[in-house]
Amino acid sequence: MAEKGQVMTQPEDHSLQLVVNLPELLTRVDNDRELLRELVAIFMVEFPRLLNTLRENIARRDLKQVESTSHALKGMLAGLSAKRAAATAARLERMGRNGDLSCLTDMASVLEREVEELLPELDSSIMEPNQ
Amino acid sequence: MKILVADDEIMTLRLLEQSLDKAGYDVVSARDGRLALEQLCLPYGPRLALLDWNMPGLDGPAVCEQVRKRSESPYIYIVLVTSRESKQDVVLGLESGADDYLIKPWNPEELKARLRTGQRILRLEDRLVEARETMRFKATHDHLTSLFNRGSIVDLLDRELTRTRRENSCSVIMMADLDHFKMVNDSFGHLVGDEVLREVARRLLGSVRSYDLVGRYGGEEFLAVLNNCDTSQALLRAEQIRNAVANFPIRTMRGPLAVTMSLGVLSSRDWPLSNSEEILREVDAALYLAKAAGRNCCQLAKPNSAIETPQELLK
Repeated sequence: MAEKGQVMTQPEDHSLQLVVNLPELLTRVDNDRELLRELVAIFMVEFPRLLNTLRENIARRDLKQVESTSHALKGMLAGLSAKRAAATAARLERMGRNGDLSCLTDMASVLEREVEELLPELDSSIMEPNQ
Repeated sequence: MKILVADDEIMTLRLLEQSLDKAGYDVVSARDGRLALEQLCLPYGPRLALLDWNMPGLDGPAVCEQVRKRSESPYIYIVLVTSRESKQDVVLGLESGADDYLIKPWNPEELKARLRTGQRILRLEDRLVEARETMRFKATHDHLTSLFNRGSIVDLLDRELTRTRRENSCSVIMMADLDHFKMVNDSFGHLVGDEVLREVARRLLGSVRSYDLVGRYGGEEFLAVLNNCDTSQALLRAEQIRNAVANFPIRTMRGPLAVTMSLGVLSSRDWPLSNSEEILREVDAALYLAKAAGRNCCQLAKPNSAIETPQELLK
């Protein structure tokens, strides 16, 4: 809640250094690894689809859709406590809202790299036994 | 308790469904705003709702606005759950009719605590509605018989006469009075009198259709308004009511009592332009004639004082 607002506006926050904030994520799913596995499976399908849509939005210079798709990505990543990637999606959302076309493509690539980094962490998180 | 969760983003939706299901809620899901609104408008639909802001069809605030337009429906407690975190968005969301605003990603314990707050408010609202309905019933019904009281039955008669004229249909109005009721009170006491009144009220209600109207007009006087009832049926229906009272003694704490009733009967078709005051005067005059004719009978009021009894109809 409020912590997220701080994350978005305070880049020095240490939680941003974490690819996935696993304790927070486990709290969110009530330590239910089965549910976590299901969410990660959904993410594996939904993220590439949304990223692809984002790239199409950028290619068409459709800033309204850039904002909307980035918003959806931000929500999904924040839901997985992937704060750094969520912050990047939030930057993309702001760029779409502000009509800033300068580095949208680069930023989308940054987001893709950050998500590639978090996938192993998500994988390991779902392999650990229930506490 | 039933709760609606509306979000177009499937991961969030799944997470909410699971955690609320575990918390004991009966979860209903929707993936766009129109479906969410449909669910909330269903009779006995969810009274708690978690709505995402950005949804296809209708966004969260638009769903709130539509829900709040339904002023007669039970209150729905709505929480907007969104990653829009600016103060302007919070204000906009709350002004659209949301009761609470939660920013994604939420803390699960905080979410549950806020929903418990919502349930407390809904329980309070239910108690207020119940109290209002009790007050409304008391203000419109007679406390002894639970029939409509005099003010209500006259208002309903007014409305019924207006509807009858508009639809060019016919209503039958009856004024009924228990015969020699003063003797019941004087001989057996007022508690027995009350027992008689309650039982007569029960029999009156049992002798009419569910959509007919019956009220206690005075001490032992009752007024009945029979909707969509033709003149030719008026005396027949009145006789049924009279028999329902006269044919079986009323059980009281002082033993069974034979009670009869006289009725004045009027068909609105015979007085097409009269208001309720004139109608009441005419039907009361017919009741007076029934009393004069020996009681325990019915008299049909006719224009120009042409009074008919069942016997005359048979001639």
